[in-house]
Amino acid sequence: MATNPLDRRYALLGAVLIAPTILIFSAVIIYPLVSAIYLSLFTIFTPTLRGQWVGLGNYAELMASNEFWRSLANTFIWTVFTLTLQIVLGIAVALMLHQNMVFRSLARSLILFPYFVSTVVAVLVWRWLFNDLYGILNYLALISGLLQRPLDWLGSMPNAMISIVLVGAWKYFPFVVIAVLARLQSIPDQLYEAAKMDGAGPIARFFDVTLPQLKEVLVVVILLRAIWDFKEFDLIYLLTGGGPVISTQTLPLMVYKEAFGLNDMGRASAIAVSMMLVMLVFMVLYLRSAGRSEREGAR
Amino acid sequence: MSDIVFSGVRKAFGSAIALHGLDLTIRSGEFVSLLGPSGCGKTTTLRMLAGLEFPTQGTISIGSRVVNDVPPGKRDIAMVFQSYALYPHMSVAENIAYPLKKRGMPRAERETRVKAAAETLQLGALLQRKPRQLSGGQQQRVALGRALVRDPVAFLLDEPLSNLDAKLRAHMRAELIELHRSLGKTFVYVTHDQLEAMTMSDRIAVMNEGVLQQFATPKEVYEAPANTFVATFIGSPSMNMFEGALADGVFSHPALRVPVTPEASGHGSRLLLGVRPEDMTLGAGPLNGTIRVVEPSGHETIVLLDFAGTTVTVRAPPDMPLGIGSVLACDVKSSRLHLFDAVSGLRIAARFGAALPPA
Ligand SMILES: Nc1ncnc2c1ncn2[C@@H]1O[C@H](COP(=O)(O)OP(=O)(O)OP(=O)(O)O)[C@@H](O)[C@H]1O
Ligand SMILES: [Mg+2]
Repeated sequence: MATNPLDRRYALLGAVLIAPTILIFSAVIIYPLVSAIYLSLFTIFTPTLRGQWVGLGNYAELMASNEFWRSLANTFIWTVFTLTLQIVLGIAVALMLHQNMVFRSLARSLILFPYFVSTVVAVLVWRWLFNDLYGILNYLALISGLLQRPLDWLGSMPNAMISIVLVGAWKYFPFVVIAVLARLQSIPDQLYEAAKMDGAGPIARFFDVTLPQLKEVLVVVILLRAIWDFKEFDLIYLLTGGGPVISTQTLPLMVYKEAFGLNDMGRASAIAVSMMLVMLVFMVLYLRSAGRSEREGAR
Repeated sequence: MSDIVFSGVRKAFGSAIALHGLDLTIRSGEFVSLLGPSGCGKTTTLRMLAGLEFPTQGTISIGSRVVNDVPPGKRDIAMVFQSYALYPHMSVAENIAYPLKKRGMPRAERETRVKAAAETLQLGALLQRKPRQLSGGQQQRVALGRALVRDPVAFLLDEPLSNLDAKLRAHMRAELIELHRSLGKTFVYVTHDQLEAMTMSDRIAVMNEGVLQQFATPKEVYEAPANTFVATFIGSPSMNMFEGALADGVFSHPALRVPVTPEASGHGSRLLLGVRPEDMTLGAGPLNGTIRVVEPSGHETIVLLDFAGTTVTVRAPPDMPLGIGSVLACDVKSSRLHLFDAVSGLRIAARFGAALPPA
């Protein structure tokens, strides 16, 4: 390899420069990962962090636990619905903001607002809107005659799941808007004009010109958001706390409950590791799609 | 048949006027070029005909139908864009078939037509490729293919050759002429390259600053330019102009005199006498110019001469001895002179006698 002394010195310099990154990476990613896997093999009392080797016992218990499967199902329901809404809403708003309209730049900055607001603040506001006694949603629905009686938005099913899905969509659709809008602006006008000449109406132009050009960015956005929604904690925890009972409890909430509510760090770690295995599937998909677009770009 | 008629078409972009009242009739089957300098309104004219832009005033009709309110896809015309505008995610075959698909043509018929178009344009081997896997010339041909499968009444082309290198451009020029001949359809071709316009067109519409200057055959535009703009814009190097006055049937400039009989009166007293570089003969004659600049280009030499303060360009054979500062005797071909009003710039029809030495 490095036969020439100058090459060897460059190689050494490279190793020195990359070392801090590797150290930090190991400290914040590898170490927690390995210790989570390690902890998952014990029964551990959280306050003392002392415990006893059980091997795969935690996993066996999980596989037999209805709560685990229910939480996993909840995680999928929440992820699929909120993500779908985020994507549809994000594309629709991006298309709207791409038109020539008055106050366009103002609207573009305002739309980012939900994404920038801290989750705690946003959830507090939403809890007031959803409040069954004084909430404005119930008030408006009652005076407009939409509802006969106030609705319990967060305390009953399926309302609670619908509510967290809606708030999640509201909070994260701006991310989709930013990514899609950036791509829309780089589609040449002449493609649309050519499509008009070819007899394509507005809907055909969307499906034949816009959507194919958005495909790459959407694949990345969907995968990233899927991973992030899958492990979403604070929004759900603050809005419903997983309730009523465990109807909106997703895996991250279950991890928290096991670790700090039931003080069993070992079981919590086992859930976290199982969650990671599921997310690994998303990651593999993401890496494959990134690799594919790189290959196409290089051609 | 399906003549294209612009009548009184104006186009303003806010306060900027791109086109001041255009009247133009393009006959069915004609190859017409819109020629003019950058910003003169060629693209705007074409885009209005395509339906991508709307006239501020006036009407555009195709055949007997006024198309002002007809959307682009329903005008039965096809356009080839300068950047080709191929759909990047579709294969060549899908690109060409797209307009047919949008018109609801059954698949089998679509395939036959795509095959025929690909044959005409020698694209057969490339049908499964994506646009980014094609060279510029091939993309150009796919864009043409997408236009011609539709069998429209007219083809609009906006500087279709400007992204190609010189050799490919000459080749595509010949292909376009051939295509026009075999299809017999109307072609409206935008260019700022006079060589393209002169070689390909049946008629040329010369435009400047949003005004149509002359609409005539290449020969007529060259031999009888309607005004000084057309006279100097067409031809390279451009036409020489001597400014002078007419007295007793003789046009006089400090360096030359020419007997002139205008065919009509009503022109001003200040006139311009136009002579193309190729219409001056060198070596003998009543005129004397001082050689200022010599530009050899291999097959000929371009020489700039000073005639009593007027700079004149002439073409000399490559082997002619030309010393800077020396005096060269010249003559003009009196059958090939042009006369213009110096104020209005308009052509004055006239007959000319042999040039006389200056007084
Ligand atoms: N969308 C627009 N908004 C404002 N002004 C425009 C627009 N399109 C064209 N113009 C103006 O109209 C005039 C004519 O433009 P046009 O594009 O027709 O010129 P052109 O003859 O095609 O020039 P070129 O050879 O550079 O393509 C120009 O002065 C241009 O600035
Ligand atoms: Mg143009």
